[in-house]
Amino acid sequence: MIQVAGKQMAWRDGMTVSDLLDDLKDPHPYAVIRINEQYVTRPNFEHTLVPDDVEVFLIPMIAGG
Amino acid sequence: MPDYDLKEVKALNYKRPDIVNGYTDQTLYLNLSDHKIAIKPVAEKTKKTFTGGKGYNLWLLWNAVQPNTKWNDPENALCIAAGPLGGTPIYPGSGKSIVATLSPTTASVMDSNVGGYFGPYLKFSGFDALEIQGKSSKEVVVFIDGVNQKIQIFETSGLPQNAYELSAVLTEHFAQGKPRNISVVSAGPGAKNTLIGCLNFTWYDPKRKRARYKQAGRGGVGTVFADKGLKAVVACWNNVTADTNNPADKARLKNVAKLHSREIVELDPKQNEMAKIGTTHLVTIMNDHDLLPTHNFRYGQHPQAPNLGQEVYRRLFDPGFDGCWMGCTVACSHGIKDFVPLTGPYKGKAVFVDGPEYETVAGCGSNLGIFDPHTVAEMNFYCDAYGLDTISVGTGIAFVMECFEMGLINETHTGGMDLRFGNRLGALELVHQMANAEGFGQIVGQGVRKMKAIFAKDFNADPDIMQDIGMEAKGLEFSEYMTKESLAQQGGYGLALKGPQHDEAWLIFLDMVHNFMPSFEQKAEALHWFPMFRTWFGLCGLCKLPWNDIIPEDNKDTDEPAKVIKHVQWYADYFSAITGNEMGPDDLIKMSETVYNFQRIFNLRMGFGRRQQDDIPYRAVGPVTEEEYESRAERYDNQLVKTYKVAIDGKSTAEKIAILREHREAQYEKLKDAVYKRRGWTSDGVPTLKTARRLGIDFTEVIELLKANGANS
Repeated sequence: MIQVAGKQMAWRDGMTVSDLLDDLKDPHPYAVIRINEQYVTRPNFEHTLVPDDVEVFLIPMIAGG
Repeated sequence: MPDYDLKEVKALNYKRPDIVNGYTDQTLYLNLSDHKIAIKPVAEKTKKTFTGGKGYNLWLLWNAVQPNTKWNDPENALCIAAGPLGGTPIYPGSGKSIVATLSPTTASVMDSNVGGYFGPYLKFSGFDALEIQGKSSKEVVVFIDGVNQKIQIFETSGLPQNAYELSAVLTEHFAQGKPRNISVVSAGPGAKNTLIGCLNFTWYDPKRKRARYKQAGRGGVGTVFADKGLKAVVACWNNVTADTNNPADKARLKNVAKLHSREIVELDPKQNEMAKIGTTHLVTIMNDHDLLPTHNFRYGQHPQAPNLGQEVYRRLFDPGFDGCWMGCTVACSHGIKDFVPLTGPYKGKAVFVDGPEYETVAGCGSNLGIFDPHTVAEMNFYCDAYGLDTISVGTGIAFVMECFEMGLINETHTGGMDLRFGNRLGALELVHQMANAEGFGQIVGQGVRKMKAIFAKDFNADPDIMQDIGMEAKGLEFSEYMTKESLAQQGGYGLALKGPQHDEAWLIFLDMVHNFMPSFEQKAEALHWFPMFRTWFGLCGLCKLPWNDIIPEDNKDTDEPAKVIKHVQWYADYFSAITGNEMGPDDLIKMSETVYNFQRIFNLRMGFGRRQQDDIPYRAVGPVTEEEYESRAERYDNQLVKTYKVAIDGKSTAEKIAILREHREAQYEKLKDAVYKRRGWTSDGVPTLKTARRLGIDFTEVIELLKANGANS
């Protein structure tokens, strides 16, 4: 199991960040998420694997500046 | 006995007024030429028109200077203010000061905001703003003692030169055992010996038992301070509570403050963890999106960038509370304990580094081709201690390094230094030279605009290529974001009043990554609304981070998520609760629009503020060199073919660069047209008479100025 935005979610072997966001069916165009303390950005969503037993944070928007 | 001397040369006892709804309704005036100290009332019309903070500063400065006043003339004023909400300890991010003066690098109006305790302590001592004119022939320290209701000017000797030690010595000197009551503003030798000096504003860190500091960095405000003969300005206040601003509706204030404060405590750990890692999370995020400047803004990405990322600074930062104002729950002002520099006067000695933040990491790291966090920390430490702006230092040295690699300058000009990208010791040596007015550093410390002229005149360097790669506009060095693929952010920099600083509009992600504003009109609307709302923070004494760096969980479901409207409404409530003037979100924009247009008109008065001054170097717009083009050839080829319908078969890279440039520069000019129209300005970028009248800034001098610059309706 993994925790995504505070909710439990089933984990599967080979699950990428893109897979996770597809499963969520959240239409928000996330550009950045965080797996525990590691930031992952959109260009890397497709090839970044989500490990089991992690906490995933959906970063709503990068404001910068 | 201390080895320094403070000799009182003037003093004024005064009666501190009660603060009413966030205002003292008076300002403090100092003239250092004759040691005059005076207290001026704030007219009701001034308050209504300019709100406070930056608005007050601009009005004081407007009345202090003439169109021909230069930055180092005695009549140039250096103004510091908080704002009506500044100093509220229960609302996050309420401790900002704002500085305004005529800049040594832009020759026009400069503003720079900063944390630390000074602005609130100044106001609680009885003054909405401080205006300093004149010049002292001997170095002076000004002490504003709000507790004992006394202003003193001291001539000094023997005090430390650098801000790191000076802040500690003056804090101890004036504290009388209560160092948290003291805030020191100082510059340093770098500010005195260059044109890119910053100001350090202290806050006291009780856990680490030391005076820490934040910087008002931009545009040489520290250089003006040092040129006036100011060693330091010190404020003293005690007993900060939610009542100190005497809010009109305390219950409403407590309610909205609790909402915002709790939200940050709950959501920051789930979002960017600013309370742990500050703004360093941006380094790898920008790098992944090709937005992190490397090698003088040539590229936006580098494989070694993670060496400067948040995972490194998470380990380097000393854990603990790092709020630069009391009660702030963002608390992002982190630092490195027991850092041992490898160069300079502190070589081999353990020091505390305040920072770095993202801008310093990018400016003094990746943009110099330096991917070593310890070098960045050392640059950060010395820039602060010397009173140098890390952004202008970074962007300035990046320009020098590219000129060196291009062969525009060589070792005969640099005093024998090999200044290719990545030379860590060379970059540090330049910082020391700037502080000590030595060697090639003296030229670098003049800033990019003046370097371009010197390199062309004295070193016979090609002025055209330097115009393309010298990252300054209006005389101010760019802050640290790549803009080539974001037309909106090109405008965010180029159309900013003081020069290319991101505090007016940071639209890169909204424009490029999210594509929220595909049309010119949408970009223009963003380049109206965002600068106006962000200006409002500077009027009120607030930090903008709580607005849109920690975001409500349901924000993404709102109509305009980029504006974070829930927080905008909270800010309207906050303003209403303190001042008693009922305001909604649109009223906040109107307040800012008034001051914003006045600042544009002020630029006009100083001989700037027209369309041509909003130009930016081509490096900010597109690829200058063949190497840059070819590094992202697919992107640029696609744009030529698909967007501009250009047949590129058989064309050389140089030909493609020229065609792309023509199109991209035309887009930028179209953007100017759309933004000027949205802002109510003429096609030359001058506010119309109608705009000035609508905003209530139709003073006689303003109307004459606008008419003289082609505004006829």
